Amino acid sequence: MKTVIETESLGKRYSEIQAVEGLSLRVSEGEIYAFLGLNGAGKTTTIRMLLGMIRPTSGSATVLGTRVRQGGVEPWASVGYMVEVPHAYGELTVRENLEAARRLHPGTPPEAVDKIIGQLGLAAYSSRRTSTLSHGNHQRLGLAKALLHDPALIILDEPANGLDPAGIVEIRELLSDLTANHGKTVFMSSHILAEVARLAHRVGIIHQGRLLRGMNTTELERERRKRLLVRCGEPEVARGILAAAGYEATILTDRSLELKSDPAIEHPEQINLLLVNAGVPPSGLVVEVEGLEEYFLRLVGAEAEKMGG
Amino acid sequence: MAELGGLLWVEFRKAFRSRMPLWTSLGALFLPLAIAFLLFVARNPEISHKLGLVGAKANLVAYSGADWAAYFGLFTQMVSAGVFLLLVISISWVFGREFTDGTAKDLLAVPVQRISILLAKFILIAAWAALLTMVILVSGFLMGVLLHLPGGSVALFLGGSGRVLLTACLVTLVVLPFAFFASAGRGYLLPLGMAVLALLMANLAVVIGWGELFPWSIPLLLAQAKTPLPPASAWIVILTGVAGMFATWLWWMKADQPR
Repeated sequence: MKTVIETESLGKRYSEIQAVEGLSLRVSEGEIYAFLGLNGAGKTTTIRMLLGMIRPTSGSATVLGTRVRQGGVEPWASVGYMVEVPHAYGELTVRENLEAARRLHPGTPPEAVDKIIGQLGLAAYSSRRTSTLSHGNHQRLGLAKALLHDPALIILDEPANGLDPAGIVEIRELLSDLTANHGKTVFMSSHILAEVARLAHRVGIIHQGRLLRGMNTTELERERRKRLLVRCGEPEVARGILAAAGYEATILTDRSLELKSDPAIEHPEQINLLLVNAGVPPSGLVVEVEGLEEYFLRLVGAEAEKMGG
Repeated sequence: MAELGGLLWVEFRKAFRSRMPLWTSLGALFLPLAIAFLLFVARNPEISHKLGLVGAKANLVAYSGADWAAYFGLFTQMVSAGVFLLLVISISWVFGREFTDGTAKDLLAVPVQRISILLAKFILIAAWAALLTMVILVSGFLMGVLLHLPGGSVALFLGGSGRVLLTACLVTLVVLPFAFFASAGRGYLLPLGMAVLALLMANLAVVIGWGELFPWSIPLLLAQAKTPLPPASAWIVILTGVAGMFATWLWWMKADQPR
């Protein structure tokens, strides 16, 4: 598959601060690549380097086959972007802002403005000055500007910020449609893991300027910890029964039993059978998957520990 | 450069929707109105007497603006100082607002040359300067007619208007470096601060006799028309304008844009 974004040991240093370090990643055509990280992790600096807004202090970035350089005009005809908080000219209407964006992308037909206004649900606001728009509609306008010229690559920094739940679903569906049915590639940053897990094909986790992990969403799913929680009347007795059968269990503060071994997680019915036969029937069994936030914090925590010692 | 037409549309639409040209034109209109008011006061001793210090100033202005020739002199000096300040405000807004409003990032990764984007902004400034100058010239002329100033002739009007226009051109050129200050300062404070500094330095340069060599004194000296300026002065002004545009372009091409 064609590589759309490629970085080689990309880095940016601001005097004493290493904002991004040794970042090497590859994004293929037609995929949604999510760049995950806490605030200040280096996501926006990376995006700005990909867009030629910041000159890297080391390494290089190639976008759509063109090595990115500051002030160049290539490959921006095929790239749409929204960086950080979207801003617009407050004195202009939504339509005029889009018209201004169209003129910054020569060759974009005038009818593209109407099309994107309809696509992003901005028709009701098209004649309103943008200074009167809500944050959510500003976000929609930012996305409209990014998509206006039908780019092959869409780079979005926190695209769901400020959107209501319906808006988030709508944007998610739009981005999925663009990649699945129109061959577009999406590179997006986010700190909302649940959003990313539903949308992205691949995920890159960045922390303190370094790429900790790059994986597809199946791998992400696999790496998240799972546990079996068993609720029963006599947890101490149940723990003894389970221990005798070779299952290690811990009693949690809410008096439920926690089992982390793979056989228990994969076959909870065996645990159920064991306890029922022993006369300690469980009142509840549930396999819990580690939350994405917990997984992420575990990952960056382990990294911090590694760096610390 | 083929995209320049579209970019000019963007810049002119932003400017006129913001009403900044209207506000600065009203500012420009105030200058001849103020002089006309002082002349009116000076010609009415009973009002002049009541106004005290204002009346005294009015008498001074009336002395220096008693006929069309002197009035044009005053006028040209107004252009040199007034248009300078109004244009600094305008250029600070045209360039600085992209940073204070957070819209600069939308101009950076686009398939048009950055020089075209900047050129569209500079053309807007030139048009703005022409507008302000015309507002002052036309309103000043009308005020002069209303005040029945003596000594008017076609030759005098043409010569006086020519000097006003030449002064406005020089002012426009020396204002161009403030586009760099607005860009590098990412807002309005640096260019406005530098404008105050430039005016102070310009006065100092005139006092110590270096006014002909200091870019921001030269339009003032031309306006005063006391002595003819050497050709070097014209070159200094042109080079200042070119250096201002070049520095702005270089900054937009090379500076990191982390915000």
